[in-house]
Amino acid sequence: MGRLLTLGCLAVFAASLAAQTGVTRRSYDTEFLGPPLADPVLQHAKETFVLFGCAYCHGLNLVSRGEATDLMHSALVGRDENGSRIGPLLRAGIPQTAKLSPMPQFSDLSDQQIAALVTWIHYARRQGRYQELTATPVRPGNAAAGKTLFDRDCGSCHALDRDLAGIGRKYEPAALRAALLDPKALKVERSFTVDRQKDPKLATAQQRHHALLENVSAEDVAHLVTYMASSSVAHR
Amino acid sequence: MRVTRREFGSTVLAGVGGTAALAYSRPAAAQSHAAANRSLINGVQFGLQPFCYHDLPMIRENRGELIRRLVRNGMGMVELHATWVEPRFIGPGVTADAAREQLRGWRVKPPTGYYQGIRKELDAAGISVYTYYVNFDDSYTDAEFDAVFEGAKVLGARGCVGSFGLAVSSRLVPFPGRHAMFAGLHNHDNLSDPDAYASEASMVKGLSLSPDFRMMLDVRHFTAADGDCVGFLERHHDRMAGMHVGDRRKHNGRSTPFGEGDAPIIELLRMVRDNRWPIVALLEFEHGTLRPEVEEVDLMFDYCKRAVA
Repeated sequence: MGRLLTLGCLAVFAASLAAQTGVTRRSYDTEFLGPPLADPVLQHAKETFVLFGCAYCHGLNLVSRGEATDLMHSALVGRDENGSRIGPLLRAGIPQTAKLSPMPQFSDLSDQQIAALVTWIHYARRQGRYQELTATPVRPGNAAAGKTLFDRDCGSCHALDRDLAGIGRKYEPAALRAALLDPKALKVERSFTVDRQKDPKLATAQQRHHALLENVSAEDVAHLVTYMASSSVAHR
Repeated sequence: MRVTRREFGSTVLAGVGGTAALAYSRPAAAQSHAAANRSLINGVQFGLQPFCYHDLPMIRENRGELIRRLVRNGMGMVELHATWVEPRFIGPGVTADAAREQLRGWRVKPPTGYYQGIRKELDAAGISVYTYYVNFDDSYTDAEFDAVFEGAKVLGARGCVGSFGLAVSSRLVPFPGRHAMFAGLHNHDNLSDPDAYASEASMVKGLSLSPDFRMMLDVRHFTAADGDCVGFLERHHDRMAGMHVGDRRKHNGRSTPFGEGDAPIIELLRMVRDNRWPIVALLEFEHGTLRPEVEEVDLMFDYCKRAVA
């Protein structure tokens, strides 16, 4: 009985404390926003994108509504590096336009808020483009064209007779395509330990693969996969 | 068409076309009377532009959910976008031109009793349609303009509103009067387009085309276009059908929750209340929220209720 009384008193005290401090549970529209992401930085970026009204026109997952620019396929977004192009555009808006409503300017946002918007745009673009590029069966491409692309975009880090030797035997074409667009080795949980949070090798690899995923066409993916699949060279 | 204070009473309370006497003589109209009263706050008639429900695709299959949300938000009046009503013909293997042609055919000859059926749905929920939102453009034939007004009238709308410019407005001139309705001009903030309604001068020019034209002043966009909302009401209140009430920042700034931007929402609502102007306040916002949209509408509506308390 005494224990029950103690628990009851504690509950009343907790409720009273919550009331005094104004602590209330704010509702979160999980149905629209989806469940919170595991990465808190990405979750914050997503919420920033929603709170400043970007999702209203451009779509939370970049499926735009009405006349808004399609950020999933925008060339400007594809060329952007860490906000180099998106940031100035957000600050200035696009007042001169043939569209019904000009793109507003967001000059009052902090640098951190602009960075969060840029982070979400690139993340959502990668998710969407991965879905698009892997939605259909792998189609045959041109191995010679694939080699040219490989030498240009992949050759500074990879070689089919070195780290990727025998990859054509190791993976089915669909799995090879998935690995090319979104390598498992780069999907590591972000660490904030001092020695790891600025790992230049990992950062560079992620940046290059992200840029590839954000810009590569389905046709070029087919060429690359055909070239890589044709390689049966063993590791030297 | 001019709407006097007395007519405003019948408009917003009965929420139907035609005379108040006729409206009150019908049970459905009497229900609409109660409907509009639900969001009549201290003499200011509020309603909702359901763009606010950002998560709810504006298609006729979602109309039931739309009505449930309007009731939940205490709204008795709505500006109903045509997409909540009309079928869509676009689909796999159908070109945009073919879909447009099919829609045109449907509008000119809708199924018998189609609009009446939707009117019953709305009446049963206590929702009256103040305006019917249609983005009229150059692709409309005259017969199609006429048919849209006819359908909107059956829904109970007093006017058709849309985001069209001066050129399309010129073509619209003959149609609203035929149905004893108005055409509502809706402004955006594109000051670079000479055809667009964005500046006060452009809106005055549009209104001068017909006495049946009335302004649906979008307060958010006019603020973003650096317009003087209070001055506009002072000068043109007798040509206004309503306002889209929301908040944005000046100089083509972003949308914000009510009270965080530059739109003088409180002043505008108080002007409507104190001058007893027949101007309907339709809430519409584009700012983002992490809350369910129904909760956000509640919060913004509460802000407006406090403004006219």
